[in-house]
Amino acid sequence: MIAPPLAHLGHWYHSLLYLAPVLIVVVVLWIQERRERGREADEDE
Amino acid sequence: MKRRLAVAGTLALGAALALPASALAHGLVGKQDLPIPRWLFAWAATVVLVVSFVALAALWPRPRLEHVKERRVWTAPVALEVLCGALGIAAFAVTIWAGFSGTQTATANLIPTVVYVVFWVGIPFTTLLLGNVFGAFNPWRALARGVAWLASRGGSETPAPLPYPKWLGRWPAALTILLFAWVELVYVNRDDPTQLAIMALLYAGIQLVGMTLYGIEPWTRNADGFSVYFRLFSMLSPLHWRDRTLYTRPPLSGAPTLDAGPGTVPLLCVMIGTVSFDGLSQGSLWTGTGGIAPDLQQRFINLGFSGEVALEIAFTIGLLFMVGLVSGVYRLGVLGMHSVRAGYSTTSLSRRFVHSLIPIALAYVIAHYFSLFVYQGQAMAFLVSDPLGDGSDFFGTATATINYNVIGANGVWYVQVFALVLGHACGLTLAHDRALVVYQRVRDATRSQYWMLAVMVAFTSLGLWLLSAAAQ
Repeated sequence: MIAPPLAHLGHWYHSLLYLAPVLIVVVVLWIQERRERGREADEDE
Repeated sequence: MKRRLAVAGTLALGAALALPASALAHGLVGKQDLPIPRWLFAWAATVVLVVSFVALAALWPRPRLEHVKERRVWTAPVALEVLCGALGIAAFAVTIWAGFSGTQTATANLIPTVVYVVFWVGIPFTTLLLGNVFGAFNPWRALARGVAWLASRGGSETPAPLPYPKWLGRWPAALTILLFAWVELVYVNRDDPTQLAIMALLYAGIQLVGMTLYGIEPWTRNADGFSVYFRLFSMLSPLHWRDRTLYTRPPLSGAPTLDAGPGTVPLLCVMIGTVSFDGLSQGSLWTGTGGIAPDLQQRFINLGFSGEVALEIAFTIGLLFMVGLVSGVYRLGVLGMHSVRAGYSTTSLSRRFVHSLIPIALAYVIAHYFSLFVYQGQAMAFLVSDPLGDGSDFFGTATATINYNVIGANGVWYVQVFALVLGHACGLTLAHDRALVVYQRVRDATRSQYWMLAVMVAFTSLGLWLLSAAAQ
């Protein structure tokens, strides 16, 4: 019988604290990359 | 395209980290009493990497590690090279002898500690400090060279070796490291002295056949998995041995000289992924009640496998999953770089930047095996005196014991964190330096490294997450 993941929430929720900085960095870099791409397109025009 | 890439990257990184917590606990002693929660170290490490990235972008406008001048220091006499080779063969012979003739109790026999601690962990540590010393002590290479020398002295004409297949590249080395990791982490009889001795002999035999067919050096550089593994780490060392001559160079500057042919990227991913699985497999998420491994094992038992085989299958799946995960994260970084400016294929970029994974692989080794090396390494004091475990005392140290107070749990944790952060900062530096060569404009180079920064942060957090689980 496999326990649903939420049944063991207490065991792994703190793992999200390790994931958070990765997500933040990825999102910030993605936004920055979009901005630079837009700036580059403006310069080309 | 970019949005899909970002979403895919986020999901992959999420998968890498949202897995249940686990750990590494190789001989970890005592309880940690850290001033801040462990997860805060991951945040701090991220800040360090981001600051390093900004500093590199601002203060490192030209490549500095690609073509450095090495300084010749000393040339070792031929006799020393012969002596090192002979010592390597002797050590190998004693280890095999202990495996076959000694007690079959793993902790009292020399071979498990030699293979898993001295060889697998000790040599990378030594290599970082002293350069590729394994090349001098490599027993099968020394044996092959000795035989070749004798053959040439005897005047017998030996056939010219076949050209080493270019397409094969380092695939044999990748397979070797994967198989070794499988034995170490999955195989239930991993500590059996006789079986270890048989496997070591088999490996040496394969190497001798390969060297006979393709030549000693081409085979050693590409297909001898352990030689390749140690040589990769030696590229980070400030000491470089070439043809018995010792050179000095800036640390890390050997890594850009890596010729990343076929199999090199998989090899690095195997190196990182297998160590990651070692960490994962020791955590409660993997092995605890309701963990992944017992669940998988039960599924395979239901299919008719024995409990032992079912467990091995479950662990094999975990091992391959972690290798795949590491490969996927690196691949995403490469895809991100590829999106910055056309001109290079993803395969080309993947190989051009793969040397930046070397310090990460070493950081993972240090972080995961440091405590094992520090504690179990001390066992060599009594094992060399009593290699068979039969009560001998050749050097008067058979009664030595392991001092578990040599370093505490906090000390181990700080070493692990330091190694991980430094390793990833070094990886970032190597990638930035290469980007300055690959991309003509500094701006493009920096943009391309956004993705490598994400990869480094992901690997750092993954490493700390795995370590933290062990410490719980």
